[in-house]
Amino acid sequence: MSTSAELLELSRRTLDALPTGWTGDVRVLAERWGTMRFAVGRLSQPHLEEGQYVSLRVVHDHQVGVAATSDLSRAGIRRLVRTAQGLARVAPPDEKFPEFAASTGRVRATAYSATTARLSPEAQARLAEAALSGARSVQPEGRIAGVVNVGSEVLALANTSGLERVAPRSAAQISVLVDRPDLEVPVSGWDEGAHWDADALDAARLGRAAAERVPRGRAESAPAGRYRVVLSGPAVSDLLGFFAHLGFNSRGAEEGWSCLKNRRGKRVAPTFVDLADDGTSPRSLPRSIDYEGTPKRPVRLLDHGTAGPPVSDRRSAARAGTAPTGHGTLPESPWGDWGATPGNLILAPGDASFDDLVRTVGDGVLVTRLHYVRVVHPARSIITGMTRDGTYRIRRGEIGPALRNFRFTESVLAALGSIEQVGRATRRYSDERGGSAVTTPALALGTFHFTSATVF
Amino acid sequence: MDDVLARALRAGHGAGIRRVEVRVSAPSRYESLAVRNGEATSLTRREYSGIGVRALSRRGWGFATTASLAPASVRATARHAARLARSAGRSSREEIPLLEEKGPTRGRYRSTVRIDPFTVPVEEKIALLLETERALHVDPTVKNGHAALQTWVDDTWYADSDGASYRSTITHIGAGVDATAVGSGEVQRRSGPSSFGGDYRQAGWEFVKGLNLPEIAPTVAREALDLLSAPSAPTGRTTIVLGSEQLALQVHESVGHATELDRILGMEAGYAGTSFLRPEDRDSLVYGSPLMQVVADATEPGGLGTFGWDDEGVAARRTPLVRNGRLVGFLSSRETAARVGLNRAGGTSRGDSAARMPLIRMTNVDLLPGDHSFDELLEGVDNGVYFTTNRSWSIDDKRLNFQFGTEVGRRIRHGELAELVRNPIYSGMTPSFWSSMDAVGDRSTWHLWGIPNCGKGQPSQTARVGHGAPAARFRGVAVRGG
Repeated sequence: MSTSAELLELSRRTLDALPTGWTGDVRVLAERWGTMRFAVGRLSQPHLEEGQYVSLRVVHDHQVGVAATSDLSRAGIRRLVRTAQGLARVAPPDEKFPEFAASTGRVRATAYSATTARLSPEAQARLAEAALSGARSVQPEGRIAGVVNVGSEVLALANTSGLERVAPRSAAQISVLVDRPDLEVPVSGWDEGAHWDADALDAARLGRAAAERVPRGRAESAPAGRYRVVLSGPAVSDLLGFFAHLGFNSRGAEEGWSCLKNRRGKRVAPTFVDLADDGTSPRSLPRSIDYEGTPKRPVRLLDHGTAGPPVSDRRSAARAGTAPTGHGTLPESPWGDWGATPGNLILAPGDASFDDLVRTVGDGVLVTRLHYVRVVHPARSIITGMTRDGTYRIRRGEIGPALRNFRFTESVLAALGSIEQVGRATRRYSDERGGSAVTTPALALGTFHFTSATVF
Repeated sequence: MDDVLARALRAGHGAGIRRVEVRVSAPSRYESLAVRNGEATSLTRREYSGIGVRALSRRGWGFATTASLAPASVRATARHAARLARSAGRSSREEIPLLEEKGPTRGRYRSTVRIDPFTVPVEEKIALLLETERALHVDPTVKNGHAALQTWVDDTWYADSDGASYRSTITHIGAGVDATAVGSGEVQRRSGPSSFGGDYRQAGWEFVKGLNLPEIAPTVAREALDLLSAPSAPTGRTTIVLGSEQLALQVHESVGHATELDRILGMEAGYAGTSFLRPEDRDSLVYGSPLMQVVADATEPGGLGTFGWDDEGVAARRTPLVRNGRLVGFLSSRETAARVGLNRAGGTSRGDSAARMPLIRMTNVDLLPGDHSFDELLEGVDNGVYFTTNRSWSIDDKRLNFQFGTEVGRRIRHGELAELVRNPIYSGMTPSFWSSMDAVGDRSTWHLWGIPNCGKGQPSQTARVGHGAPAARFRGVAVRGG
């Protein structure tokens, strides 16, 4: 992989190819990721990926064009510039397109692990083997699956406003599933973790924990309905991820489909609930700047339960008349059209142990994890999905027998509004390459709507 | 390109390696054009070249990829794949079975394209999108109009250590519109010709011209407006008729994914999930009504899942999955087919680019047409709901318990379509739902849809797949308004 200086030099060279009168910003991305998948008790799909890409956005007379390529040759860069220019020349003018980010001096350093970035494929494979062994030591009869994701991305960014930055980030993520498809009512257990330093993750322990969570008894049936619930960290992570999109996405705010329309500045959750998006915090998977070069800025999304503003990239901030919060996405990403979305959620811990949460619920359901969650109605924040990998009855303040899975259909705002207690132990969860992360404790909720039950 | 392929094959075929497959993207091109409320939100072209090498040791697979085609990078990548295959082999005591593949092993596949989309001036495309998007603004209540066009041209070379080699150039294109109306405390979105950005096909620019986007846009927008004041969909068990595009997604989620052998064998358990099906269910399990006929057809002209060979060098083929309501086949790879005793692979092993490991992916998984006209489907319904254009979709990890919402519903009264209803949702369990299908629409109701966003795998892959589906009628389905 190229050095940071070489990446920055390539970004300069790309800008130098722009004709006079054109402005632009360029991102050179160098990535190296390993994805060690295991399934049916063996390392099944080990995957190593290395790549370097250039992404260029150009502007002329308020017309914007974007192009990206993996061809880093001189001819490739010349073609990239011509392509972006050609698109810009026919673009409808965007009179509100903002200036590119200016150099603002120092930015807060990110947490980064060079060891993680350099971890060899064999070492990554050994992490997967450790997770397998850990799970097998507890559940020799179980079927074990999961993944170890380890790698890094170096972003070198330059623009015609004089900004030059190099922002590396590293990420590691491990998840383990142990299931028993051989049982009359199949059951499963799950654990996962993420960190910017692979050394901070104990693969064997995650494997053991997943196996220990496989219910021992036969899973029982329970009728659909409203229940008091404890949501474990992975389930809360999903819930907050959807809340971030439905409530704090810049496009949702602009277009009127945000579930927080007319509710900003108002209390939507109990006063002991504080949710931030903080891409600078080592408690998340931090990076110093976004893909436009704007320094990451913490945003209070729920301040003592009161809804804050949406996050923004430069374009949405200019339209809203606010300062950008550092949530610019890759301009060539098809997902960029979704607008700026929080990607480093941190829910402040409370003071309850996990047992306290279960006691608070008294009679209800413990949910380990959600599956295939989709938006039913964005403005009402209604989502639907399934429970998965460990759903239990809570009786008289204690965890009882395993339950067959439920489908839920619930308003995220209603769920958050019913939070009764926040756990004190937090954990970091992330997508496969650490592009977004949620750091959260478990929660006790007063109500959660399970709309159907299943036979498994 | 032959030298790149040969270099990778040589470097990957080291000690302990049984098989090497090499794919080179050279290049894959993608164009995304989109306008929203008169402004461009995406004017993007992306080009990717790179190589992916998959190696098989006696007991494990390994895959490595790089975006550099420089000789040293190619050799290093192939060696990484081999090292990973050996590492994987150490974690298992079981040999990976693999079906032999006989047939044409060299060739050229090229999409049938009348007008190459990349030769059409971008001005012309933007003009079409702007005209279309303007046509959505039929009322100030339409707060957002959006028109988008996406094109992919993938030029891929393949070679493997058994001597197979081919080149394929596949063009996919699609476009669509959507309008969001906001008013009276309600938000309603309507899209056309389908959700997920419209409709897609393996074709050229002529397909987009044929979508008549400026003509359909006002109708799409007016329905979004009408939905603002429409009553909520009813709640209870009733007869429903699913429109072709919603039934396509129903097939995708509850038949396509469920019949993937990697899911069935637990190889996707840690992420996408498994399936309620078991290998021994083939030829015995009743999937649904005797009217249910489903095939996976990678030879279907124009489908997003149509190709010459899959990424294991298996020629495209048509595989029956459900015949007269009974499960008769699976989507399979060479390994999974061997594991369950099939006598040939399904030819469905595909990566979404050379940079991704091949996985079992849907090709064109079609529900075949029946013999009812659309009017005849309605005739049998005194009181029911017609569902069209997907809005939300969710199904459990075994592909049993599903809930789908559509953008629009219409009451069916006395055999005719009646008033609009908003936020309609239906739900069910896969086999009982398909068993409730009592009438299937004929060819006039059937359409080959393109779905460009099928996610699977780690690292994540986005496959473009096809689904042909008619309209169909189902009895006693749980329905409610959201």
